[in-house]
Amino acid sequence: MKEPVAIIGVGRTRFGEHYELDPEDLIDEAGLMALDSAGLERKDLDACYISDYLLQVTNKIGLEEGFISQLLEMNIPIEKMRSFSSALMNACNAIEAGRYDIVLVGGMEKMTDRWSKIRDNLMLLVDHWSYYAGGTPESIHELLLREYIKEYNIRGDDRQKLMEVLAKISVKNHRNAVFNEYAHFRREIDVKRVFAAREEERRLLGLYDFAPISDGATAIILASLKKAKEYANDAVYIISSSMATDYISYPSRPYRTGFIASKIAMENALKMAKISLHDIKLLEVYDQSTVLEMISLEDLGFVKKGEAWAKLYESFENFSGFYYLDGKQIFVNTNGGLKADGNPLGATGGAQIFEVVKQLKGEAGQRQIKSDGDLTYGCVQEIEGFGTKVYVHILGREKGGK
Amino acid sequence: MGSEPIERRVAYIGDRLKGSKCPFCGKEYFRTRKYCGDCGRKSLGKMIDIDFFYEKGVLETCTVVREPTNRFTRFGAYVYGIISFHNGRVRVPGRLTDMIIGSDKSVDLDSLEGREVVPRFRRRHSVDKSDIIPTISLAFTFADEYYPYQPYEIVKPSKEYDAPGIVGYGVYVSKFRIREGAMERSVPFIDEDAITAAVEAGKIALIHSGVDHKLIGKVYVGSESNPYAVNPIASKVAQVLKLGEEEKAEGVQGIDAVDTEFACKAATSMFKDAMALVCYPKDPMDYAMVIGADNAQAAPRGEPGGELDFFVGFGGAAFIFGMKDVIAEVEGWYSCTSDTPDFWRRDLEPYPRHGGRFTGEPAYFKHIIKAGRKLMEKLNLKPSDIDYFVCHQPNPAFPARAAATLGFKPEQYMPGLQVSKFGNTYSGSSPIGLAAILDQAEPHKRIMIVSYGSGAGSDAYLFITTEQIKEKRSRQKFTVKYQAENKFIEYVDYATYRKFKEGL
Ligand SMILES: [Zn+2]
Repeated sequence: MKEPVAIIGVGRTRFGEHYELDPEDLIDEAGLMALDSAGLERKDLDACYISDYLLQVTNKIGLEEGFISQLLEMNIPIEKMRSFSSALMNACNAIEAGRYDIVLVGGMEKMTDRWSKIRDNLMLLVDHWSYYAGGTPESIHELLLREYIKEYNIRGDDRQKLMEVLAKISVKNHRNAVFNEYAHFRREIDVKRVFAAREEERRLLGLYDFAPISDGATAIILASLKKAKEYANDAVYIISSSMATDYISYPSRPYRTGFIASKIAMENALKMAKISLHDIKLLEVYDQSTVLEMISLEDLGFVKKGEAWAKLYESFENFSGFYYLDGKQIFVNTNGGLKADGNPLGATGGAQIFEVVKQLKGEAGQRQIKSDGDLTYGCVQEIEGFGTKVYVHILGREKGGK
Repeated sequence: MGSEPIERRVAYIGDRLKGSKCPFCGKEYFRTRKYCGDCGRKSLGKMIDIDFFYEKGVLETCTVVREPTNRFTRFGAYVYGIISFHNGRVRVPGRLTDMIIGSDKSVDLDSLEGREVVPRFRRRHSVDKSDIIPTISLAFTFADEYYPYQPYEIVKPSKEYDAPGIVGYGVYVSKFRIREGAMERSVPFIDEDAITAAVEAGKIALIHSGVDHKLIGKVYVGSESNPYAVNPIASKVAQVLKLGEEEKAEGVQGIDAVDTEFACKAATSMFKDAMALVCYPKDPMDYAMVIGADNAQAAPRGEPGGELDFFVGFGGAAFIFGMKDVIAEVEGWYSCTSDTPDFWRRDLEPYPRHGGRFTGEPAYFKHIIKAGRKLMEKLNLKPSDIDYFVCHQPNPAFPARAAATLGFKPEQYMPGLQVSKFGNTYSGSSPIGLAAILDQAEPHKRIMIVSYGSGAGSDAYLFITTEQIKEKRSRQKFTVKYQAENKFIEYVDYATYRKFKEGL
């Protein structure tokens, strides 16, 4: 990046079912919290970038910009994107370009308002031809797992270990969410329960392998470097903002044992931040399924392709909150991930940023991680669709590497 | 509410699995495109049209969907995965069809992956009763099971005949059966209907005949179970099988396509029309296709019309008529008709009614015997001059009695008697019987077929097989016998049969 962008405030709602609230109520709550934590008035905002996937479908509303304008009682530029990370990236671009100094990035989703139709809409969004062929939002993750098993010829005991690793990812994320007051699920589960759900449903992956359908909103306040000094002296900086795309049709992609877009986005992000992968000890990955947490560790480069299951298996043998990969500590999804924190699509990326900011600032309370050495950098991976768009943002207490 | 333009576009590509191939580097795509991503501008407008409709694919990876999206719930559980064609040059998503997976049944995915599959033209998913019925060929069955893989190769005709006749034929009966007493009846899978059966029969007829699909000038589809009250089956058949010359710019086929209706003789009635067209003096067509296909409907047992529920079947037969490479030449025909409403279905009624008063003597027997006798008289033939006899088969007893009354012996009529294997396939009934005879007849054998359609009438035809009947047999793996005695047949209970028949 030409110049880092400062995060001077963060806010979010609880994720889960908000039966009584409209989407604008949710974004209002998250936005106020973010403004409050930045010590700003809404009149200080130069622009807003907001995100949601499906409000047009779930709530039959469009023109979200108008709702935000009315809430703020302001006429500033407001644009709507799909994922939180896409809004964040566009906000960063604008700040870097010198157009704005203070920007609110907010995400919201109200998926439970149209619970009965949401899976059809999600699958159509992922790839309409796969939908026409009978695909479901869950089955596509199972196909990825099958591709992985096939490519790396994982059989017999190894296969069992892999399935155990996936279960333990879910268990770990549920445990992390216990101390997350905003999480959708704040209860521990055990490996037996993950396996029991798979068996009961007679599926490869079961209920506890997948992120839930949630409502929620998140917001952060960004500031240009020169403005940041006026408001905060302990800001966290966005030192890279990167994304890559891939074909809408997963079957037609040449690379199907992971997401090539993750790999590309991460490589570019590291270059942009001028840091090495090993400088990152904190990672929020888009674990829409337990498979995606495992695969993402490979795609992002933390472990070699085809080895994550074995390395994670070792990590889980004496697990104390972090994976041990390539001789390095890596804390993953400390807020509980999408699995337990929840997954209100347009707001999800905001919760990932929220967590990394809290951890980097040492404000994560009971879930604050204790890493060997300084905790300087954190990384957020957000995915749109099934690997169709991957965003990587690297956050740092410092304004980037050398 | 569906969207008609989206349905049209998805079906246009998906029914046939259309794609493109780069003439420079050979890269292939599912879904047509104007240029190759690797070769760029030089390939613009030069891409070659391909499709995977007659191809064999490989199920690469799969999983079981047990909690489908809303429009797929009537399928229950199914296998869903990635299918590759042409050694992995193209990959598509796909659902395995013709497979019943109980909620308590586990599926060994390892044993399925890597097996060869054939695309099948089926209904895509459920929609509202008033919507356009969506279809797609991203449904697959294993190539080594009930429905065998058969390549479609166009064969240049070698011989011209003086009289028109049958050039090729195809029979399609589903893999599922219900067995009650001595009778077996074919049951559609939940994504099948008269439209999909018509397409399958037509496809198999093209494969068997080796006829160039572009040279078919007219297609008739006879059915009494078209899922639409208004909207032809024949237009779907023409589009999917690409019958007639394709006008690509407009996406139309240069063919006349029409549905016909006259209970169970809706197809046989058109045999003579088709044969007339291929020898029409001024502007003859090369070929004409006639299909009879039905998902015969019946009210539940105990309700009015419910007596039919013991006999209804599912399936279809297609015949291609022409003057070249004929396997059975026509000798003559005779039809008779009377206003005898012995079976009918009023508009908006789901099931037909059966007038017990007319059935049998004054309807079925009167017309069949009249037509059969009259045609023999016309051509000055005795039953002993005829090698095979087949007539409409609403149950096992009627056709045997009609044949005996006409003076035929069991050895003459048994080869064509298929009702106890498939049930009454209505428009497909006597045509399937005719196909069963053609499957086994030697050259120079005389065959008589007499159809019957309620309402009422009969069409009688006499055919004589030619030498060429034998040379085409190698292209017909999916014979009537093969479908009747297949080891992959799955028997379903009564509740499943009713559910499958009702469809998506
Ligand atoms: Zn090319």
